[in-house]
Amino acid sequence: VSSRLAGRSALLAALAAVWAVAAYFLWQSKVPSSLRLPHLDPHRYFTTAQLSATASFSRVNSLIFWGTTVAQIGALAAYARWGVRWARESAAGPLGTGMLLGMLGFALVWAVELPFGVLDLWWQRRHHLSSVGYVGYLFGDWFALGGKFVFLCFAVAIVMGFARKLGERWWIAAAPVFVGLTLLFAFIAPYLTPMHRLHNASLRAAATRFEAKEHVGSVPIDVTTVHDITSLPNAEAMGVGPSRRVVLWDTLVDGRFSRPELQVVIAHELGHLARNHIWKAVGWYALFAFPGAFLIARVTRRRGGMGRPEAVPLSLLVIVVLGLLALPLENAISRHREAEADWMALQTTHDPAAATALFRRFVPTTLGDPSPSTVDYLLLENHPTIMQRIAMARAWQARGN
Amino acid sequence: VTEHAVQLIVEDDLRRSRLTVFFRLLLAIPHLIWAFLWSIAVFFAAIANWIVTLIAGRPAGSLHRFLSSYVRYLAHLSAYLWLVANPYPGFVGEEGEYPIEIRLPPPQEQSRWKTLLRIVLALPAIVLAAALGSPGSIASGGSGGRNQSYSYNASGLGSAVAVLGWFASVVRGRMPKGLRDAGAYSVGYNAQTLAYVLLLTDRYPDADPTAMLGGVERPPLHPVHLLGDAHDLRRSRVTVFFRLLLALPHLVWLALWSVAAIVVAILNWFVTLFTGTPTRPFHGFLSRYVRYALHVAAFLYLAANPFPGFTGEAGIYPLDLEIPERGRQNRWRTGFRVVLAVPAVIVNSALGSSLLIAAIFTWFVALVRGSAPWGLRNLSAYALRYSAQLYAYVFLLTDAYPHASPLEGASPEQMAFDETG
Repeated sequence: VSSRLAGRSALLAALAAVWAVAAYFLWQSKVPSSLRLPHLDPHRYFTTAQLSATASFSRVNSLIFWGTTVAQIGALAAYARWGVRWARESAAGPLGTGMLLGMLGFALVWAVELPFGVLDLWWQRRHHLSSVGYVGYLFGDWFALGGKFVFLCFAVAIVMGFARKLGERWWIAAAPVFVGLTLLFAFIAPYLTPMHRLHNASLRAAATRFEAKEHVGSVPIDVTTVHDITSLPNAEAMGVGPSRRVVLWDTLVDGRFSRPELQVVIAHELGHLARNHIWKAVGWYALFAFPGAFLIARVTRRRGGMGRPEAVPLSLLVIVVLGLLALPLENAISRHREAEADWMALQTTHDPAAATALFRRFVPTTLGDPSPSTVDYLLLENHPTIMQRIAMARAWQARGN
Repeated sequence: VTEHAVQLIVEDDLRRSRLTVFFRLLLAIPHLIWAFLWSIAVFFAAIANWIVTLIAGRPAGSLHRFLSSYVRYLAHLSAYLWLVANPYPGFVGEEGEYPIEIRLPPPQEQSRWKTLLRIVLALPAIVLAAALGSPGSIASGGSGGRNQSYSYNASGLGSAVAVLGWFASVVRGRMPKGLRDAGAYSVGYNAQTLAYVLLLTDRYPDADPTAMLGGVERPPLHPVHLLGDAHDLRRSRVTVFFRLLLALPHLVWLALWSVAAIVVAILNWFVTLFTGTPTRPFHGFLSRYVRYALHVAAFLYLAANPFPGFTGEAGIYPLDLEIPERGRQNRWRTGFRVVLAVPAVIVNSALGSSLLIAAIFTWFVALVRGSAPWGLRNLSAYALRYSAQLYAYVFLLTDAYPHASPLEGASPEQMAFDETG
């Protein structure tokens, strides 16, 4: 018994070492490790009214987040306990019954989240950040839910299929499949979003200069139309390999932001591509997918394992709880990447004034809290705070750049 | 279950006069004018009858007689127009004079609440009656002049029966029984709805085709027919509420399967054309596909309760399909299968709108009661059965043409038993 235990411990230690080494390489960043951000007083950059408005906006957002999370976990806990009874509504065999139970669990979560979603929409509309109608939200969401149902069925089929073939070791085979699917989605996502080329010639010329400086090759700069649903400005780097592109929301190029500010945005997004952040995100997903799947396999053992449909309701609860527990770590990783992209933008544009102006403008346009509470920072912020971003621009300047 | 107060009596012998069929629409013009004039009078009579029934708790005898004659007359006229019956109808709605007859109850006590809210209560039945008896529509396309084109969309079951029955009757001098039964069902349901709206009865229209055509001889058993427990009406409220979303994975899978099924069907067509018999693998594959499509449709349209499997396996779903083993098929019928299927496609399309409406109403009822209404369930089963027979015909699983009768077919033994009874 002791040799077996020792063998297992050694294997676990080896896997942990591999995990740590992989995490170390994924964590590598262009931001100098010696960089120390100065402490800045938000009142020097924002008016009291602005700070008060963002604090109030964030407070309600935080309450909605907690309400949604508690309702979601409560509903899934109840579903894990009693959801199995709906198995009798299936004539589809174990796999199909698992799909049905998975979909019903999702439907239940959707139903309990709905009031919070409406509340969130009301809050966004009240602050002129969203122009989605309530009817559109209620019915538009059904279509989104339909897409999730289809994907969920696919996921359940993969997990249960492997579990029925491989027993408790299903996670070893299933995790790579999910990593592959994540990579596939990362590749095809740009093709699923309607967009058009950026028309502004000077911005395009700047982007071409930045591409050369950041060594990312030729990357299309596209614009997607969102102004009919939101006024929030945003941009994103999407795709891998030939599908790579930078996508600007049209709310970013509607005249509220100056050309130097937009150049910082483009350089930031190109920085994501230059530093292979999408590949790294997939890598991080892989690092979490294996232990996550292993934990699901362990927890669902008492329901007969994932090969049985009875385990599906419990697995949904486990996934959501694990997701919540991993959220601070996930946000920290995301903030780390965003900070690196900010640094790349500063290195490329050499324009800390424009970066500072851009970050300052985010406060009135997004109502993002420049310095949120620690709990909100850990659980809700996947970008550095506005004050941290301004501080980075100051720190970059202070290094004599 | 008690018999419905408004009964359909079918004594038609299926024979049709080619001449009167050919000119049917023109011959009906005097009736159409007369029906229009009569409808104006009925509008006022119905309001008077509503007030009287609301006050007295039962319709006035004279108004009841007048409105009953009107309901009978419209049933006769519809039956004539849709070729469900052959003789030229009378103009006063005489009782017992026409092969498609409507038996109406005498004036009876009626609930005042139901009377007060009659129009609102009748809305679902009116919508379904419209779907069954819609006259269809003529759509024009093109840019005018010589390029102008017109198309007829037979959206209702009655109009589909009329259009197809016209061709069949002109050629053969007989109305096909399936089409006649389908048309008679539409006439009957429309009459029940009208009788309910005009306060001739407070019994809600019954969408059950088997009850409506209770006295009509059943057709021979079609080789493709439904199996399973028809009386399993229980519906899970949760799965009913999310039914469309829950069906999405099946619809995606069905769409993928359909692509393969079309390819296999084309190959099967060539094989059957040359050898006279479909190959066993193709027959098995297409049988599973047709059965799976039925399972999915039964789930989606609430004709059955459980979430179906993904393989179209036989014997696992409460609403299942009997499909015959492969056998020799007539090469001519195989060669022209797609063309021959066109009339059945028209009937199937007309039944599709009724199926959709039945599903919507079933959704509401099942959410409240946790069970499907018997009548709507049977209407859905009729539409699904016809659709499955059409698929089986098109995919060469059988060369038996889909039977449009709402009545489930009977085996020779059952028919002998029915006759003895």
